[in-house]
Amino acid sequence: MNRTLTPVLTATAALAATLAVAAALLALGGHSPGAVFAALLRGAFGTWDRFFSFTLVRATPLLLTGLAVALAFKARVWNIGAEGQLHAGALAGVAVAILLPVHSPLLVLPATLAAAAAAGALWAAVPAAMKTRMGVGEVITTLLMNFVAVFLAQFLVQGPLQEPRGVFNQTDEIPLAARLPALLPDTRLHLGFLLGIVIAVALWLYLTRTPGGFRLRAVGASPRAAEVSGRFRAGPVVWLAFLTSGAIAGLAGWIQVAGVTHRMYEGLSPGWGYTAIAVALLARLNPLAVVVTAIVFGALSAGGGAMQREAGVPEVWVRGIEALVILAVLTVDRSWQVLAGGGSRD
Amino acid sequence: MNHPPTTATLLALLATLACNVDRKQDDVPATDPPTPHVALLTSGPVSDAGWHAGAYEGLQLIGDSLGFEVSHQQTRTPAEFDEAFISYAEDGYGLIFGHGFEYQDAASRAGEQYPDVTFVVSGGSRPSANVVPLLFHLNEASYLAGMAAGAVTAAGIVGMVGGVEIPTAKGTFVAFEAGVKAVRADAAVLETFTGDWYDPSAAKEAAAAQLRQGADVLIHNLDAASFGFFQAVREAREGGSEAWAFGMNRDQNDVAPDVIVGSAVINIPAMFLRTATAWRDGTLGGVAEYAGLRVGAVEFVPNPAQEGVIPPEALARIDEARQAIIAGELEVPRIEYLEPEDDDPPSP
Repeated sequence: MNRTLTPVLTATAALAATLAVAAALLALGGHSPGAVFAALLRGAFGTWDRFFSFTLVRATPLLLTGLAVALAFKARVWNIGAEGQLHAGALAGVAVAILLPVHSPLLVLPATLAAAAAAGALWAAVPAAMKTRMGVGEVITTLLMNFVAVFLAQFLVQGPLQEPRGVFNQTDEIPLAARLPALLPDTRLHLGFLLGIVIAVALWLYLTRTPGGFRLRAVGASPRAAEVSGRFRAGPVVWLAFLTSGAIAGLAGWIQVAGVTHRMYEGLSPGWGYTAIAVALLARLNPLAVVVTAIVFGALSAGGGAMQREAGVPEVWVRGIEALVILAVLTVDRSWQVLAGGGSRD
Repeated sequence: MNHPPTTATLLALLATLACNVDRKQDDVPATDPPTPHVALLTSGPVSDAGWHAGAYEGLQLIGDSLGFEVSHQQTRTPAEFDEAFISYAEDGYGLIFGHGFEYQDAASRAGEQYPDVTFVVSGGSRPSANVVPLLFHLNEASYLAGMAAGAVTAAGIVGMVGGVEIPTAKGTFVAFEAGVKAVRADAAVLETFTGDWYDPSAAKEAAAAQLRQGADVLIHNLDAASFGFFQAVREAREGGSEAWAFGMNRDQNDVAPDVIVGSAVINIPAMFLRTATAWRDGTLGGVAEYAGLRVGAVEFVPNPAQEGVIPPEALARIDEARQAIIAGELEVPRIEYLEPEDDDPPSP
């Protein structure tokens, strides 16, 4: 219980510290901090609709990529490639949705989700193979695979997957059968958010309640020790972490298309795969806490939009404040660890 | 749990702030504002001295000239487009500009949801009762620039460097090429798209490559990357070759007065003001708005610092063509991207 709650409090305290610094900066820049923060809160939580349609919709891709990163990091697999796996998943989902000659949602939805997960896993399989077979560091390989995926997406939406008119660099709209239904009526919140919650709970159960989860955490704590103990080999565990992480990130991409944008285009993601690292670390890699931190980031981003609209704060300021929050979180998190006498590392 | 007291302090601080914020919120006037509210969405920074800056200037112009309340949001992904349209519509904004073709889908969706709000999409493709594509016919000004280029080129080779290959950008090049060939039928035309509006080094490289292939007059359709493009032409001139450049989108004659012959200019602020005025008068909606030479939304502006580079007889021909375009006697080639009205139900 403690482990779940601590990250939540970390997030809250960091937010408060950031508010103080940001307020000073905003005042210097000629903006009224009160009005700006009021806009932020209104944008993120002002009405139920804003919370469901804005904050939770924005939190969904961060939730899924955050879970992907948390799982990988838990196994000491430094997957920086969620961004690329997300693109791979989105492309595969769109391709299946557009090319599959079936129009029943009962078939199309599972098929597209499976394709997206498989593509994400495949994208992660390349760095996994390079790590386990050749000992190539995955920080570099997963990062580089991101560029390959982003450029592949650029090429596909200008070429083979481009809308039939061939005018804009985007795919056609996906058929109705491939779209994720709304989770709540009259909101933009879609089934993908629920799927993210289900995956979070499943990962948490897996990590804490199963032998497989124990092995994964053991390898994460010390791959050498796990090997030396002679009970199992680290290789398969690393593979499993890579593939599952990639699959979840792949789902994130397709779910964004199926639930929100309904087509694929260049620049689908504003860097969710990278923000996911902050989301996962802030949650101390605990899948249940990732749900909370993803919502915090979603709220921050939805509130950022309102800061522009209602308080006239330029976008660069908004992003600066978002960055301040991340810094504040890391600072508060670290100081708690020190104050608590070292603290645990998970 | 054994957290230091700072936690409690910070939480208390946050709570206090939240309470303050709640009280503030009550002071904000409710809906039904007496002055019309106009909003603008851009997908890039309004500090780009180009496409987005022009829209922002237009918004300010609407505020200053018509006394409307104005607001702007920079949005990054289409998921945010929907959100911003909805928020503005909910907050009582009656006219919302989405500055780029990329806003079309979201505007169509929001248009269905908010029939009393008018959505204007710069370069949009699907008009409806309250969704109005604003079609900038920059190709008309680009055609005139092409005629100037055809008269200026000694080698008979002209080059065009674009950012992302979208129909509006492509359209300016199609027209430029036609303008060149109207003056000099045997001219060769080179075309490169770098894939990036904002990357000056890619633009510089592409321009330099065209200069190496013998082109001596270049035009671009770039955003902030145009600085690299002009640098390439400047370096060619410093290397002793008689190369010239044309500006695009903004009047760039003062950006690189030493190399620019003239600019194909799009007057976004004037067009925005015109659109907002039509909206106020209730004459906006149902069809796409033409924004070309005839309404002063685009223009070809020779660089006063390089007077004489374009021969006087060429200038006379350009002016003739200009009049013909305005009179509707000369149709400038363009890329058609307007769609018939949607039969598909828009996605929820």
